Amino acid sequence: MIFRRVSVWLAVGGFVLTLMTLWGANHKMVPPPPTEPPPTSPYASTVAAAGIIEAVNENVRIAPPVSGLVTTVFVIVGDRVSKGDPLFQLDDRDLRAELNTKTDALPSAAAKIAEQDIHLQDVQDQLRRLQAVKDRRAVSEDDVKRKWHEVEAAKRSLIRARADLQLARAQRDEVEANLKRLTVRAPRDGTILQVNLRAGEYAMVNAADPLLLLGDTDTLQVRADIDEVNAPQVVPGSPAIAYLKGYTDKAIPLTFDRIEPYIVPKRSLTGDNRERVDTRVLQVIYQFEKPSFPVYVGQQVDVYIESAGEPVMGGPPSGIGSPISGTSTQEPQGTP
Amino acid sequence: MSFVALKMLFGDRAKYLMLLAGLTFSTMLIVQQGSIFWGLMTWSMSGISNVNAPVWVTDPNINQVEEIKPLADTAVTRVRSVPGVEWAVPLYKGVQRARLRDGNFEQIALVGIDPSTLIGRPYTVLDGRIEELRAPETVAVDELTVERLGGPNKIHVGSTFEINDHRVRIVAIVQAQKSFQNIPFVYTTYERALRITPQERRKLSYVLVGPQPGISAEALAGRIQKETGLGAYSGDQFGWKTMQWVLKNTGIGVNFGTTVFLGFIVGMAIAGQTFYLFTVENLQQFGALKAIGASTGMLARMILLQSFTVGLIGYGIGIGLATLFGLTAGRGGVLPFKETWPLLLGVFVALMMICSLSSVISIRKLAKLEPAVVFRG
Repeated sequence: MIFRRVSVWLAVGGFVLTLMTLWGANHKMVPPPPTEPPPTSPYASTVAAAGIIEAVNENVRIAPPVSGLVTTVFVIVGDRVSKGDPLFQLDDRDLRAELNTKTDALPSAAAKIAEQDIHLQDVQDQLRRLQAVKDRRAVSEDDVKRKWHEVEAAKRSLIRARADLQLARAQRDEVEANLKRLTVRAPRDGTILQVNLRAGEYAMVNAADPLLLLGDTDTLQVRADIDEVNAPQVVPGSPAIAYLKGYTDKAIPLTFDRIEPYIVPKRSLTGDNRERVDTRVLQVIYQFEKPSFPVYVGQQVDVYIESAGEPVMGGPPSGIGSPISGTSTQEPQGTP
Repeated sequence: MSFVALKMLFGDRAKYLMLLAGLTFSTMLIVQQGSIFWGLMTWSMSGISNVNAPVWVTDPNINQVEEIKPLADTAVTRVRSVPGVEWAVPLYKGVQRARLRDGNFEQIALVGIDPSTLIGRPYTVLDGRIEELRAPETVAVDELTVERLGGPNKIHVGSTFEINDHRVRIVAIVQAQKSFQNIPFVYTTYERALRITPQERRKLSYVLVGPQPGISAEALAGRIQKETGLGAYSGDQFGWKTMQWVLKNTGIGVNFGTTVFLGFIVGMAIAGQTFYLFTVENLQQFGALKAIGASTGMLARMILLQSFTVGLIGYGIGIGLATLFGLTAGRGGVLPFKETWPLLLGVFVALMMICSLSSVISIRKLAKLEPAVVFRG
């Protein structure tokens, strides 16, 4: 009897419609999986850091000895250079002209010596002849004296002429040295990492960007920035691991090298030239063997450093997450 | 006996329909208002639910998700140093201006997600590939952006527009839960978000954190808060915090609460009155039943059966109508309408309370009933 009622069927319909709608709409959304697994720490307790790969001994920012026009750049990016190899040439036309003048002054100075030499021989000869006269009355004492002085003066003139030649040589050498300075050479072996210089440009002594960047790419190191708040947690000598940004399968085991003793303002890595210094960081240097995959100087990495496992503030967290605190206490404490 | 009770109920068609209408519309009103309320709350939490991270780390004094107090860049590594953290990635969030070629502009909520893991990306990609966000100057936009910036003819995969004078190319259209402020979402990578937003001293809005297996999000949030001094909340905690803020700072809670309460009162008044009239009209029949030996308890059971039957039918039609309303008026997400199990359960309980309370009055009448009434005019 009850099922002959329209209202009952309406009610059943309402139920079904609502249930179906709810069923379709209200299931809990599961977040989509990360496209790459995010970097995770392999250690029980860790200090995380943002790292950058750099050449050992840091990179050399090559600067010219004087500002000047660049005429030739001898290297391209990626060139391996040895110590003393020419890198680029500054405009030397004025110095070359000066060198010509100075060089051409040398024969004149040399001729001056010969001239003075002849003159000396002449006056010496005259003096000798005067002195050879036996009769005191034929030659006055005064004449002999004067000739003697003339000889002495001629000797000094010869010395000066020689000195002038030397000076002229020195001046030529100076110009030559200045000329050599205009060829900028590699201060040590390495690879050219950057060339911000082209022939025809004016090289400034105090350029903001390095004109050439020279570094040793055979042995690289990681400079890890640790927030100053976490600085006390860093144990010198503790192992670390670095992941290339976005590639958690590309792990690089690191060996401790040193801690930079001075805490520096953090440099923003966004590539913005107006840096937003808002915090200071402790820098730890780690070395690594060149991995099988390519890594490049200047690449950013996520660094995880093993720590002693003592939190900075307060005691170890009680109650929560016991598996973690459990493993960290069982673990042998690293070198102090 | 039940048969008799139902026959009595359905026999008086006019009263039955009136009773049914009262209960149906009362149910519909409560469910519809409750669903709109919950829909608004869902919108207010959309900033959290769209990202759906286990733990959120930000400034400790933050009130709600749209209120951004940026952190220093190193907060990511600080959080990674906390034991129990499986991963931690940065997130940028901020309102920027998008401009189209024709000069129209629109406010957008820019979300910058970690480029390598894309954690925090939307669930559903409707068109294009969100992985292409890694290409330079690219964004993914939600449907609302498409609508606001000029429709699918102007805004599609491959078309370009400007954010803060930076040209960006769309690589994906995604589905995102609308926000309370109704500002469309535009997704890009974290680094690019930093570059195309104006200079600020700090820009890292949130650190999203995943707990190691076996650790609950709440426990990890507590630990991060304790060890770093930053504010850390699990997704649910942050959602409640945001909702509380909305309830406290807007009149939404009071408004909808009042409507729901009124729905309850009106439903109860109509049902109680009609049911009482119904009982009074049938007093002779009840009297006859009592005269042939039915106890008061039995009559009470009959009344309850009648009231619960009509209650159930009213409830079914009511929620059906409310769902229909949601499906038609709220199509395409233009209306904040979201039915939930707890709401339906609550309304059911409320309706049964209405039915029970209105039957109590009738049962009191029946208890005092003299069987002799059957012989009166």
